[in-house]
Amino acid sequence: MNEKELVKKAQSGDFEAFSLLIEKYKNKIYNLGLKLSGDRHDAEDILQDTFLKAVDNIDKFRGESTFGTWLYAIAVNAVRALHQSRKKAELRPIEEYLPSGHGSGDDTKELFEWGDPHELLEQKELKKVIDDALAEMPDKYSAPFILRYFEDLSVKEVADSMHLSVAAAKSRILRARLALRERLSEVFKEKANERV
Amino acid sequence: MRECNKHIQEIADYIDGELDAKLCDDIEDHLKGCKNCRLMVDTLKQTVILCKDGEKEELPESISSKLNEAIKKRWEKKFGKA
Repeated sequence: MNEKELVKKAQSGDFEAFSLLIEKYKNKIYNLGLKLSGDRHDAEDILQDTFLKAVDNIDKFRGESTFGTWLYAIAVNAVRALHQSRKKAELRPIEEYLPSGHGSGDDTKELFEWGDPHELLEQKELKKVIDDALAEMPDKYSAPFILRYFEDLSVKEVADSMHLSVAAAKSRILRARLALRERLSEVFKEKANERV
Repeated sequence: MRECNKHIQEIADYIDGELDAKLCDDIEDHLKGCKNCRLMVDTLKQTVILCKDGEKEELPESISSKLNEAIKKRWEKKFGKA
């Protein structure tokens, strides 16, 4: 049975069908919550909140997006509700993540060359750097980035999940990617200097 | 492509394979002569690869059971049966 048929059955009260949808998405939603919050308890709350809201609103799902996109939208709202009171530092504008003077003269500062990151950091350390950087980022940037590259959603699906235009979704994904690139560059540079 | 910074979104689209062929050719021509853009492309690419390298965590069984129980209760409240 395909996902559309499962959703239809669930909407008519078939719990078995809904259980199959839970099975498909529970790990994904848990990991999304974990990446966005950096905290297992928060991830558990986000997971539960998302599926309970999905039960409450299953009859309102009209199939304009995929069920997954609809579920991710609920999860992102659950994260927002949880993080409302937590202030996270705003990301800088895109141009501030780019080398100054780049392309406009001789004052261009050369970017740091990473080489093989795995020679500088172990996989575990790398994961921690990435997870911490994402958890510290405002959700409006980290959520589109995670949906795009961890969950492999298209830019259009990310835009739908976040109620954004495609251009705005693209811009937020890029800002998060540049911020993360910069953080990784700092860490790699530090590690490379320690070795000299 | 004289002012590289203005084309960062196109560079990101290029990396993700979402740029049309003509612009791809323009970017590839530019990359041949611009070391910083080559480094930007390489490190932006690696940023996503490194993120994807990290294993996803399995949902712990205890949380999964709790979730199923909570959903079942909510379902029964809404539909009268599970």
